[in-house]
Amino acid sequence: MNKLQKTFSDRNELIDYVATLSPWLTDRSVSHHRGGVEEAEIRLDNIDPEGYVRSRNFLNGKITYLSPYIRHGILTLDRVRKTALSKIDKPAKIEKFIQELAWRDFWQRKYYEDSNCIWFDIEPYKTGFSKDDYADELPDDIAHGETGVACIDQFIHTLLDSGYMHNHTRMYVAAYVIHWRQIKWQAGARWFLHHLIDGDAASNNLSWQWIASTFSNKPYIFNLENVRKYANKEINTCSHDNQVLDASYETLSKKLFPNMQSQP
Amino acid sequence: MNLVWLHEDALRLSHPVFEAAGGHRQSVFIWDEIYLKKMNYSFKRLVFIYESLCELPVTILEGETIDTLNHHANAIHAESIKIPATPNPYLQSMIASLDFPTEIVNDTPFVKTEKVIKVERFFRYWNIVKKQVMQN
Repeated sequence: MNKLQKTFSDRNELIDYVATLSPWLTDRSVSHHRGGVEEAEIRLDNIDPEGYVRSRNFLNGKITYLSPYIRHGILTLDRVRKTALSKIDKPAKIEKFIQELAWRDFWQRKYYEDSNCIWFDIEPYKTGFSKDDYADELPDDIAHGETGVACIDQFIHTLLDSGYMHNHTRMYVAAYVIHWRQIKWQAGARWFLHHLIDGDAASNNLSWQWIASTFSNKPYIFNLENVRKYANKEINTCSHDNQVLDASYETLSKKLFPNMQSQP
Repeated sequence: MNLVWLHEDALRLSHPVFEAAGGHRQSVFIWDEIYLKKMNYSFKRLVFIYESLCELPVTILEGETIDTLNHHANAIHAESIKIPATPNPYLQSMIASLDFPTEIVNDTPFVKTEKVIKVERFFRYWNIVKKQVMQN
């Protein structure tokens, strides 16, 4: 039983020390998102719930970056909720903000209710395919952000570099993995859980199931027009570099779910 | 004397587990290589967790969780081990394997209700909780 060091001269010294405690990991890159209560309190003070409601779907929108702190119990959902409500005069203005907190509470309740459910399909796929039609493993080109679909690769590199992704880009990448590449959601969920510093088995896996349609009424898909609407200018959304995404929803649905067309 | 086992789901001093343990307590976090490998966390995540721990008045012990907790609880003659509630089945199985009396302490809830909320689709749940959580 070894008592570990807790005081360090700077962050680099701490990082080097954690490296000695985790010799099984070869990728030693760190996130710019720092742990700890102090950082969490700063971020909580700075939340802009009304701005969040207006802009949360935009990749440069006023999101809070509180999820790693909520994930590890540094902040409670109740504390964030009360702080948000204290910043506005009419609660109805920030219903979408409170609702996002409620999503996490909902996922946690599901996890408490049946901890096994998060790795198994809660319902069958509603894509016209059976689960056996989906591959078990994540291909290397996805794992390394080398799919050739420009915006998807940029989103993946953000994950690999920072350990964090905007929720909208999580949805885009998850939908691409499951519906464009026909890979089981579990493979993508495992991959996200490894890299995300806010990765939570319940929120992560059940969100992947929601995209897959195994915990929702229909599969979630998107198209390039949607990415263009919400992306910042640093994201490459040109048609030539994102061809598989560049179509109408009707065309994409026919292509991705051909077996669904014959169903009533 | 009570022992608080702070795990990765509850990295803050205001968690009710500390109040449940009372003033005469010791608090530990177990840096368990087997557990961390099982969770398959990246180095980024490990740094985030470690940075958070450094701000807390807890001792970080390196070792296998169950043996380390049993040994430490024995060494300090702990009456019980107080543990924050967790939905993580791996942590739950370790809690069940401890030789000491344990108490699971729930965190401050997002929704306070005696009623059992059936977790089916989100918007059914939202319609039940909305009125409460939209009030300050």
